[in-house]
Amino acid sequence: MTAAPILSITDVHKSYGTYPALKGVSLDVRPGEFIALVGPSGCGKTTLLKQVAGFEDTTSGTIRIEGQDMAGVPAALRPTSMVFQKLALFPHMTVAQNIGFPLKLRKVAPNVIATRVDDMIRLMELKPEYLKRYPKALSGGEQQRVALARSMISSPKLLLLDEPLSALDVKLKKVLQAELKRLHRSVGVTFVHVTHDLEEAMMLADRICVMRAGKILQLGEPADIYYRPADPFVAGFIGETNLMPITITGHNADHVTYTSNEIVDMQGSLPAALVAADVGQGPALMNVRPELIRRCDRDADVDCKLAATVTEVFTKGGTVQYRARSKHGLELAIEIQGTSHLPMQLGEDVWLGWAKKDMWVLKPGEA
Amino acid sequence: MDMEVSRSWREPELWVKALPSVILQTTCFLAPLVMTFLLTFQKTQNFQLNWTWNLATWTDVFSKPHYWTILGHTLAMAVACVVVCIVVAFPIAYGLATRFKRLDNEIKVLITFAFITDATLKTFGWVLFLDKKGAANYLLAHLGLPPDTVAFLFTDWATLLGMVYNLLPFAIFTIYLSIDNIDRSLILAAYDAGAGKFRAFWEVTLPLSRPGIWAGSVLIFLLGVGVFLEPKVLGGGKSPMSAELIRQTFETRVNWPLGAALTLVLMVVAIFVVLLFSRVAGMRRAGA
Repeated sequence: MTAAPILSITDVHKSYGTYPALKGVSLDVRPGEFIALVGPSGCGKTTLLKQVAGFEDTTSGTIRIEGQDMAGVPAALRPTSMVFQKLALFPHMTVAQNIGFPLKLRKVAPNVIATRVDDMIRLMELKPEYLKRYPKALSGGEQQRVALARSMISSPKLLLLDEPLSALDVKLKKVLQAELKRLHRSVGVTFVHVTHDLEEAMMLADRICVMRAGKILQLGEPADIYYRPADPFVAGFIGETNLMPITITGHNADHVTYTSNEIVDMQGSLPAALVAADVGQGPALMNVRPELIRRCDRDADVDCKLAATVTEVFTKGGTVQYRARSKHGLELAIEIQGTSHLPMQLGEDVWLGWAKKDMWVLKPGEA
Repeated sequence: MDMEVSRSWREPELWVKALPSVILQTTCFLAPLVMTFLLTFQKTQNFQLNWTWNLATWTDVFSKPHYWTILGHTLAMAVACVVVCIVVAFPIAYGLATRFKRLDNEIKVLITFAFITDATLKTFGWVLFLDKKGAANYLLAHLGLPPDTVAFLFTDWATLLGMVYNLLPFAIFTIYLSIDNIDRSLILAAYDAGAGKFRAFWEVTLPLSRPGIWAGSVLIFLLGVGVFLEPKVLGGGKSPMSAELIRQTFETRVNWPLGAALTLVLMVVAIFVVLLFSRVAGMRRAGA
């Protein structure tokens, strides 16, 4: 925490004509960190990456890399390197020429380049015989490795990844995600990874930055984002969730009291640590992830429970997903690890319960 | 192996499917060519074609250096035209594909108009402009330059100007298409790797626009070898090129066998030059 940020973005705005793509973004990235920028299309995550890479000028605000203001510094002179969504391998150059290109531009001697290219090939686990081939002759995954090798060869301070895995099939994606994680650990370079795939962000990143409409909604570790979302949008964007309306009636130092016409809670209060700081008196939402809800008995000793009718059953191999509707019309999603017999049947009236430690209370807002 | 390639011609259905194309190619392309070839072994007497088999025409063609001088001149003019067209067209195409992207459609319409305006009309327009008492000299005289500053009408330079003017759109279009096809992220990748604007252009844009340059060159060369309007109208007919010679041989001299032989010579030489050219281009690409 104490280390000076390697990348420091302060109140960056970017407009295309009259369209504001970034509306005041501030973000500090720690050295050696793997940070993921996630959000729906058009949220500004790629725009932010382009500002850092230096492909576009910011409208206002500052970007510092290792404390140095990057205003007016062209992309070519920034200590950053980008892996493009479409990879952008040069089709008229061989794999070796592609990987060595950044060093060639830095006027490094050809024999030194050759050695460095060999190092990169080994690091990326590419076969040496690929060096003389053209990128088109390689598979998608191999091209990906070449693109990574080209970006890493000039030893950048910051590696910027612009959804490089989005075009790959699921199986290959998994392999390359593991590869990225391994690469990050072994080279110690700071990674800024843009993706719209949340699972990917959760898997890879040390911290996730959720963006929407040109603003950062939440920045935190994957578990923070997942279990303690800042607002209903983040909660819903990061996988399926249940947001149950409650009414906050009182606050004190370590407890918050609430009422609900659905939820049966003997205590009627929550530890303050489970309530977002900006939640005040009045309506709020209780967030519980589908996999943390269990079927229970009417009299079971569970922190919170409610009665509902099972409306849908989806068997998804390893897990079974249920939809249930409470008597006041609240739709719930429940996910249970698959067992050979289904714990709930379609149309069955059941009690659903969860532990207080598994929930989080946030302010209602735009989902 | 590719499925399409490994399919055998013995399959009868392939023949049926290929038939329309085969018929079209044979009647419209192969048959006239064979006719032209057969014509070269005949003779014309009293403006009548005599169906007699002999090699007189071919001996004539190979014994008179006059024909070959004209052919050499034609090739030289076509090559010069290619060089000038590419050099002039590249910056225009580059500008259209990059800087003036917003005016893209308007400019494409203008270029298309240049294509559909009759070449004869445009060529005669140049005569009016380049004439001793023409528009160019009139304007230059008003700028204080001596009269007759522009005095190259009815020379090869005027012919070349006309050829370049009429064929330039082909080069602009082919080069424009290849530059427009270059993925923008490739240029960004070059910047990102540490290249300045010029280096990115030299290392990425230029090599990747080569297919357009080659295609434009071949197109202009083949069209340039066949021009007859420009040497006649702007060159004043003083140094005719092959196409004009062939036209004269057919129409004025009514020597069809000789005309046919000259046509074939021009075709073979032009194809040979193009093959040589593509060989060199292919080698350069493989070595790049």
